[in-house]
Amino acid sequence: MMKKGIDEDWTKRVFACIQCGKCTGSCPESAKTPLNIRMVVRRKQFGSVSASQHVWYCTSCGACTIRCPRDVKPSEVLIHIRSDLVESGRISTSIQRALENSLIQKNPWGKARSKRSEWALKADFQIKNIGDLREKRLLFTCCVEAYDPRCNVIPRNVSKILTYAGIEFGILMEEEICCGNEIRRLGEKGLFEELRDENISNFKKYGIEEIIALSPHCYNAIKNEYGEEAPGVVHYTEILWRLLKEGIIRVGREYKKKVVYHDPCFLGKQNGIFEEPRNILMAIAGTELLEFTRSRENSLCCEGGGGRMFYDVDLEYERNAKSRVSEAQELGAEVIGVACPFCLVTLEEEAKEKGIEVKDISEIITEVLL
Amino acid sequence: MNILVFLKRVASSQEEELKILGEGEAVDLSRLPFKLNDWDNYALEEAIRAVEKEGGHVIAISLGAKESDDVLRRAIAMGAGEGILILGEEALFDPRLRAIVASRFIKKEGFNFDAIFTGVQAEDDQFGTFGGYLAGILELPYVSMVVAIEEWGKGYVLVRRELEGGLMEKVKVSLPSVLSIQTGINEPRYVSVMGIRRASQIERKIYESSLYMEGVISSIEVLKWSYPPKKEGAKILPYDIDGACRELLQILKERGVCQ
Amino acid sequence: MSYGLIMADVRRGLFDERNLDLVGFCNVLNIDPWLILPKGAYNVREAYFKRIIQVEMGEEEFINPLNAVITVKKVIEKFGDPFALIFSASSSGMEIAPYVAGYLKSPIITDVSGYQKESGTLLKSLYSDKVFASLKIKGEGFFVITVRSGSFRHEAREIEENTIYEKLEGLTRDERRRFLGYIEEEKQEVDITKADFLLSIGRGVGTKDEIPLYEELASLLGATISGSRPVIDKKWLPKSRQVGTSGKTVKPKVYLAMGISGAFQHVSGMKDSECIIAVNKDPEAPIFQYAHYGIIADMHKIRDRLIQILREK
Ligand SMILES: Cc1cc2nc3c(=O)[nH]c(=O)nc-3n(C[C@H](O)[C@H](O)[C@H](O)COP(=O)(O)OP(=O)(O)OC[C@H]3O[C@@H](n4cnc5c(N)ncnc54)[C@H](O)[C@@H]3O)c2cc1C
Repeated sequence: MMKKGIDEDWTKRVFACIQCGKCTGSCPESAKTPLNIRMVVRRKQFGSVSASQHVWYCTSCGACTIRCPRDVKPSEVLIHIRSDLVESGRISTSIQRALENSLIQKNPWGKARSKRSEWALKADFQIKNIGDLREKRLLFTCCVEAYDPRCNVIPRNVSKILTYAGIEFGILMEEEICCGNEIRRLGEKGLFEELRDENISNFKKYGIEEIIALSPHCYNAIKNEYGEEAPGVVHYTEILWRLLKEGIIRVGREYKKKVVYHDPCFLGKQNGIFEEPRNILMAIAGTELLEFTRSRENSLCCEGGGGRMFYDVDLEYERNAKSRVSEAQELGAEVIGVACPFCLVTLEEEAKEKGIEVKDISEIITEVLL
Repeated sequence: MNILVFLKRVASSQEEELKILGEGEAVDLSRLPFKLNDWDNYALEEAIRAVEKEGGHVIAISLGAKESDDVLRRAIAMGAGEGILILGEEALFDPRLRAIVASRFIKKEGFNFDAIFTGVQAEDDQFGTFGGYLAGILELPYVSMVVAIEEWGKGYVLVRRELEGGLMEKVKVSLPSVLSIQTGINEPRYVSVMGIRRASQIERKIYESSLYMEGVISSIEVLKWSYPPKKEGAKILPYDIDGACRELLQILKERGVCQ
Repeated sequence: MSYGLIMADVRRGLFDERNLDLVGFCNVLNIDPWLILPKGAYNVREAYFKRIIQVEMGEEEFINPLNAVITVKKVIEKFGDPFALIFSASSSGMEIAPYVAGYLKSPIITDVSGYQKESGTLLKSLYSDKVFASLKIKGEGFFVITVRSGSFRHEAREIEENTIYEKLEGLTRDERRRFLGYIEEEKQEVDITKADFLLSIGRGVGTKDEIPLYEELASLLGATISGSRPVIDKKWLPKSRQVGTSGKTVKPKVYLAMGISGAFQHVSGMKDSECIIAVNKDPEAPIFQYAHYGIIADMHKIRDRLIQILREK
């Protein structure tokens, strides 16, 4: 069965490659790691079967695929090579752990499935089970947000705002599982299908009509890789902006800070959502919105995605998060605003050193809401 | 070389707080996912590596409910040639009974084997008895906590077994024998979901465990389940530096890591 | 009075402290502790035992499970059935006990850590100590158990009468399993996942210049040094020493965390350690939620004082 957006006909595309090198030129991992995406495609043209472990350096930011003039989709070619490694069983233990955890506990960290909705129990207001609702609007949390205490605030904040705005929504509680976005990118196709099918069957079971995704990664998977059976999906920044624009929620307090917005790859360059997060920030009195030199389509990847979160990189090299934070500092930013839990944790780790805050947009807006 | 590997499907409980039902009647496993016992995964990988090197055949055997078929399919995907389910749960909890069932099964079905591998213990009950008990009944030589197989010789195998504090023992045992395998002996290969799907096409034989239970019953019974004494967060040692340091050293001593 | 047959836990000429747990177990059950022991000069606390049977076998032969069967059968032949066959839950006991039990088809319970008199049940941990089961042994005949170290030691009592000494001779050997020698773990590349005791340093260490003093502390304590990612990122410690989701997962006996806040990615890599001790100046640091013991103090002051105490020793 062919699913919308998943490219099954990739071998043909490989031969369309003219080795122009735009992919490598745009790759945030080239030069500093052994990954050379142009060579990855080249070797496939020669039918080379020996897959190199270098492919694990890819962050799935998608820059190569966007830049490619021949529509080769190098980032997809790379996933197929990862697949060969996965099927052969020869993968590093840290990736293996993430995949096995996702099979058993349905999240890459192997956290208890029964604790998936603990973040909701810690909220000081009630968050409903989707089964108890009339309007079938689902809030879908990312594994990072469900389990990392640092990121728990994102689903809690967004829930609070939605509740306040009178928008009915519910969650899947323990039935929610990993969306599979990174799993597909790690090359574990069968596992991705399993996760997708279980999610879709839950969506059907509860008659879900609309999904609000909190993470751009889940948003991407459901929108582009779940096929026709998935309900419509929006990213939470789209809803927040609509609520602000329509005056349903109002900013009451000032947020007197210089905020530089970092575009998450799966929200921005891969799915074209650039304006909503910026509009939200600009709607806040006192906030001065700054821009990175590399922003929007050219935004520099934080290196959290595509399974890099789980790859035990032996190599020592400068993280993109570090140069990102340095630039923010040069710009005079006090806060780096993000709209993705992966970006939040990767950037924050570096930012702590420099005394810059990293905040999810939902955190900023919650602070200033009337 | 033919190796029989025994596999157990267990509840994945590492991240869970387990609930006891009623007045200590049972442990609630209903919300837990299940998986292959970690130790058995290493045993299976070691057996597959052995036949990859020496030639032969791995037969994966699991005693348990019908869902244990999961671990057999996984084993086949990993490289086992055959999967066999001894169906039935009555024998599961008693280390004696389950080893008797397994030994009768092996004898009755007339398996030809050079070695039997088991994991050192199961994550759930942690009896750590299956391999040893089985070897005892079958009157075969036995080595437990094997951390390296150094050489398969003619009629013997050279292994290392793990003792305390980084010490190991080198042992030579004649074949056929039973080895219980310790985690860390190898790095088990990854088994993909598609690999498991393909393995499903290979038939797994099923035998009823009741066939091997005649005249024996469980020799142990659980009267009550209970929780361990509750842990109340960190115990904070005194605020003054000297007192805290001395208490710290005392704890290290009790834990046996520092003289 | 019936007797409990204790198979001595011995290794390289040492009579382990753990044997006292086996004595304590007999005392709790009110049965006479009998000890079987290989040849050799062991530092046995003889007054604890009603009878000591020395077997004409060397230590390595004695702890070979195949020979243990021969020994046990002979003792039973000579003295009749014991009430229980008792081993310690150590690398020897865990190997011999099930083998002997299987040979004799006796009931077995391992890793016993308690006894309830009223119900006559034995306490055993399951699921990594998350729950305990009170177990009753059914049927006739003796049973086999292994006893958890530390659980009955305090119950061990010396006996009032004199100890009886016996020798057991004329035993055959089972040649199908042979001891070839001991191997110490090679200490080349440090593998933090194998260490029993980790001293782990976090960003709280402040500067690179402080590291050598922590290395000195580690060597005085006999600990292996590891760290959180920020410390590794700054190259203050090599990458192989990183604990956490993008580093190694460790389960040492003791994990001493100094200046580590306890972030999710770090905790995932060490939370299963047997004992976690945290030193942090911030009483609110999340690491204290995972630690068994905590010290709220400046890590450098703790380090300096520890070095001082250890040097004085
Ligand atoms: C994808 C990804 C993977 C990651 N993988 C890992 C990983 O594998 N391992 C890992 O460790 N981290 C990892 N991290 C980073 C993790 O999120 C944290 O940033 C990191 O663990 C923090 O390290 P820390 O506790 O040493 O530093 P901090 O969080 O900065 O904590 C320092 C602590 O030291 C205390 N302190 C300061 N001075 C003193 C003093 N003088 N005396 C006593 N205490 C003091 C402070 O109170 C504070 O609690 C990862 C992050 C990401 C995004």
